[in-house]
Amino acid sequence: MKIGKLLRAKMGTSSYEKVQSEERANNQKALQTINQIKEHVKHMSDVVLKDIATVEGIVTIIHCSSLVENMTMQNMIFTPLANHLNQIHQDAEVIDSTDTEKIVSNIVVGHTLLYFHRKNLLLSMDTFSVSTRAISTSEVESTVMGPQDSFTESLQTNISLIKRRIQNPKLKNEDRIIGTETNTKMSILYMEHIVNQENLEKVKSRIDKLDYPGYPDISILKQLIEDNPLSPFPQFYMTVKPDTAMHYLLDGRIVILMDNSQEVVICPTSFFEMFVSIEDYYNRWTTTSLLRMLRFGGFFLTIMMTPMYISTLTFHPEILPYELLVNLQESRSKVPFSPLLEVLFIELIIEVLREAGSRMPAKVGQTIGIVGGIVIGTAAVEAGLVSNILVVLVAISALLSFLSPTFVMSNTSRFIRYIFILSAGLFGLFGQMLAFAWLISHLLIINSLDTPFMTPIIPRKASDLLNSLIRFPTSYLKEKMGISRAQKK
Amino acid sequence: MTGKYVVSVIVLVAISLAGCSQKEQKVPLEDVGLVGSLSLDYIDEDQMKLTVAIPQYSKEAKKQTQIYSVVTELMSEGMVEIEKNSHKKVILNQLRVVLVDEESARSGQATKVIRSLYRNAEVANKVLVAVVKGNAEEILRAEYPDKPAINFYLSDLLQAKMNTAFNPNTNFHDFMYTQTNPVIDTIMPSIEGKDGLIELNGVALFDEEKMIKILSPQDALIIQALQGRKKIAPLYLSMNHESYGKEILLLDLIHSKVKIKSNKNFESPKVSITLKVSGTLAEYKGARERDLDKKEAIVKLEKDIDAEIKRDIGKFLEKLKELKVDPIGLSENFRMYYNGKWTTEQTKEIISKLEWDVSVEVTIISTGTLK
Amino acid sequence: MNTDKRKVLNGYHVVFLAQNLIIGTGLLSLPQKISAVGYSQWMLPIVFGIMATITLWPMIWINSKYPQENLFSINEKVLGKWMGKIVNSLFIVYFVFILASLIDNYMLLMQTTALAEHSITLPIVFFLLVLVYIVNGGIKSIARFCIMSFFLTILLLFFLRWSIEKGELSHIFPLFNFNWTELEGAMRKGFMSILGYELIMVYFPYIISQKKAFKHTVIGVWISITIYFITTLVSVMYYSEWQLKHIDYSVLNLLKAGNLSFVERIDVLGVTLWIFLVLSTTAGYLWASKKSLESLLSKSKHYHSYILVAAVFLVMMIPIEREYKEKLFENIFYVSFLMILWPLFLIVVHLIKKKQVR
Repeated sequence: MKIGKLLRAKMGTSSYEKVQSEERANNQKALQTINQIKEHVKHMSDVVLKDIATVEGIVTIIHCSSLVENMTMQNMIFTPLANHLNQIHQDAEVIDSTDTEKIVSNIVVGHTLLYFHRKNLLLSMDTFSVSTRAISTSEVESTVMGPQDSFTESLQTNISLIKRRIQNPKLKNEDRIIGTETNTKMSILYMEHIVNQENLEKVKSRIDKLDYPGYPDISILKQLIEDNPLSPFPQFYMTVKPDTAMHYLLDGRIVILMDNSQEVVICPTSFFEMFVSIEDYYNRWTTTSLLRMLRFGGFFLTIMMTPMYISTLTFHPEILPYELLVNLQESRSKVPFSPLLEVLFIELIIEVLREAGSRMPAKVGQTIGIVGGIVIGTAAVEAGLVSNILVVLVAISALLSFLSPTFVMSNTSRFIRYIFILSAGLFGLFGQMLAFAWLISHLLIINSLDTPFMTPIIPRKASDLLNSLIRFPTSYLKEKMGISRAQKK
Repeated sequence: MTGKYVVSVIVLVAISLAGCSQKEQKVPLEDVGLVGSLSLDYIDEDQMKLTVAIPQYSKEAKKQTQIYSVVTELMSEGMVEIEKNSHKKVILNQLRVVLVDEESARSGQATKVIRSLYRNAEVANKVLVAVVKGNAEEILRAEYPDKPAINFYLSDLLQAKMNTAFNPNTNFHDFMYTQTNPVIDTIMPSIEGKDGLIELNGVALFDEEKMIKILSPQDALIIQALQGRKKIAPLYLSMNHESYGKEILLLDLIHSKVKIKSNKNFESPKVSITLKVSGTLAEYKGARERDLDKKEAIVKLEKDIDAEIKRDIGKFLEKLKELKVDPIGLSENFRMYYNGKWTTEQTKEIISKLEWDVSVEVTIISTGTLK
Repeated sequence: MNTDKRKVLNGYHVVFLAQNLIIGTGLLSLPQKISAVGYSQWMLPIVFGIMATITLWPMIWINSKYPQENLFSINEKVLGKWMGKIVNSLFIVYFVFILASLIDNYMLLMQTTALAEHSITLPIVFFLLVLVYIVNGGIKSIARFCIMSFFLTILLLFFLRWSIEKGELSHIFPLFNFNWTELEGAMRKGFMSILGYELIMVYFPYIISQKKAFKHTVIGVWISITIYFITTLVSVMYYSEWQLKHIDYSVLNLLKAGNLSFVERIDVLGVTLWIFLVLSTTAGYLWASKKSLESLLSKSKHYHSYILVAAVFLVMMIPIEREYKEKLFENIFYVSFLMILWPLFLIVVHLIKKKQVR
């Protein structure tokens, strides 16, 4: 291989000088172009310009070395240049050599430019190849059953993960470039014959209207195109599992993917689906129904439990059984704070523990979690800072808040809980119910892609009830969910 | 569109701000004395002695319950007086039991107090009431070495075993219901303190607002059975049969069913009562003991028990007729057919003229597992 | 907003709107209000239901003659622009007062049961804020809220089971044990508690299938009547006649009979959960008054509901004596009869006008 190359180089040398002078005379313009390009990429140190002699004369190769791997250069550029020039002419796209803007933009997206001096011909080859992470199991949404692969940060990999699950020409993916500064690639996936066209248009127009410099993650895009940006609730579903994305695609939803972000956005979605995991469909229907009730009930329990403690202790001592009350009195007798402060205190400690645990390196985090949980918990009770019954309640409600398979939802439930705690501290059960009424009406008012968020609790279709709190056996779940407003066949 | 957001933000901010500035400081639970039981002793026409029992949770305290007594004219005034003595805010929200002594029950004072407690929104309707033979305060103050704290002991005693054993438990609602309903007179359990324990030993019978008599448990059982209670306490019978002599038996009643029909005649009222009882023969002492594995013998025994119960009911109704009270609500069967307002006088009239026709049907389901 | 003119209410929305706008605080004190007829009161809800069905008919009729208009624009069309505007502004005053009395009623109850020793000014403010939040979501969100509150509060019926166990069914006899004056008194006081269905005249133009509106509303009304019937029947079974007459919120006391191992006093839970019913009823009225204000000013703005709510708050805070205030609130309900009869008047004027044109 090497010897052959050398030989060829030597053979060319004699004619090379002749040709070179010819070309220099003929193609002053070409040099100008090269210089222009050089001027544009002056402070981009990773842009490499290389003159290579070939059968067709000198070729200047320009590429951005941080976006193109050496192996790719070797395989796609150098080897064909030396051996099969035809291949390059076939593969590459001709671009106008005077359009420097376009030339530079081609370089920064990882294309390699080949400038044929003799012909004054500028070719561009897509050689974008950056190192990507391998497909691994999901840390955020781990499941016991079902496929374990999860999306990575590469758009191409992600699309391939979905497309290999749905091998159907009706699965469309429309690419867009977003981010006025970053030029991030993104893709909208949908099943052409199922998706609701109106919804699709809405998503597209919302994305097209965006004017935002850059998107470190798709969650930013999500927040920008959601219906009610002020709401504490996420209105679009996010997942890292390709099987989830596939499930919703088949139901007629729209999946939005973005380069550099692991998660994908699914819209429209309903409040209830925030408590649905794809694993629900892998489990037996009985187990699933039980789990769903647990998760859904858990959401309301977690926002109600500690506020209930406050309101019963400060406002309505009569609603608890006598025995329990006397116990409570005993455990509260050493606590110097009012129940409201007591609850806020311990809830904040839990938040601190959680936040500290998630910021710390994994190995340290675990120990801190145990230290925090056991030591601080018991010590606080012993020291008389909080009552032991409250510690139990707070621990349970903290655990309950993590029942929801969507992480954003569990964050939301914690935030909502503070509203309930404060209103319980204000007016007891009345405040709690008022806050509950607010919550319900808020959930009823907000939309996901202009479809009410509260479906299928208030079902759009009767068949939605088959797949709600109780998931019927799989053979019953033939209908698409009402919220996706799928096209009728 | 933005209006919605503005409101939600205002609500959030306002709630959080208001939560921080608690103007009206509520008394936290540990500084509240939760009265569990309350007793009433008659002093004279106007005055009564009020005693409350509040659980003491502090570990340093020697006794589990703190007792406060005060002499007062009015309920609420007494509570204020008690609060002065206590180091805590005394509330009635968790009141479970109200005890009244016999004298205040007989004088009608107890009725007034219960009426005022019933009006109080803090107090639950499920507060149990009982008449104490002797001093009511003593019951609260006495020592019960092997029993839980008095509050729990009393409420368990008066409440539990509702379906199985003798217990004519009466709560505020029942009391007020029977007080204000012209067709029925009030009853409530009566208890007595015996050293180290409290005994439920009868039923106090009220004529309108005043107590008139304490009935035996046997009579209470009849009241319960005739009122249509499906499960009643075990029935203890002692019969004196002409051919078999003295017999004692205990019937574990499983199911009882009663049907009362009136003749709708207000001048010469008559009711026909059909009582169907089924149960197991738990114990038997007497001459027939050996025959009881035979079907015919049991049928015979059933007939004898029928007659015995019938006689008991007759005696009891006779007693009611004399007293002109109606704790069973028999006159309801006449009111049902009367257009217009029914009054207590009409009940009294009906009861005093009442004729009856009782038929009892006892079924012995089994005589135990031994043959 | 141009979306306001769109038809948004499905059949079930109409059913539950009618159903939930009726049950406000009325149910809580219904057995006491109609206690004049004694034990025979259990029959009255059925009578009320029949009356509501009959009076509903002219409302639907006049609305179906003007399918795109609500009550207020019908007023303007039938009575002329100026006359209509005057009538509409009277309606606003009526709505404000009825809102004030509804909220006041509930808040007083709150104060006696759940918020003892508490001033209720701040709770009222928060209540009104949540109310505005619901109303600004539009009639559809009110309808949805009604559905939710129905399903949340219907569970309370379960807690009646202890009272049923204890009650005497024989109390319902003798039938028709009352005279005419008693009946008249009970009807006058009790009929107020089924008011609320008349708001159909305001939300009629938003209904998708207007031809079925009558049927749907009647279903809604009769759901409420069934609930009323059950509660009065249970009250009759559980209470003595004296108790029926003297216990203010007898339905709450029915809940007090409940017995759960972990909750001792279900009534506190019940009365706070009742907020959903009160919110849905008041939301309906506030929305109607907002529409009325819109027709007066001929534009639609969100801050209108704030103005109205501020007016309601002021009415509730008028520093007059309690007794006088209660009388005022009681009398405002008599105006409701006028509202029930109003469509008849409109129909008459409508027909006269039509003849003149011919």
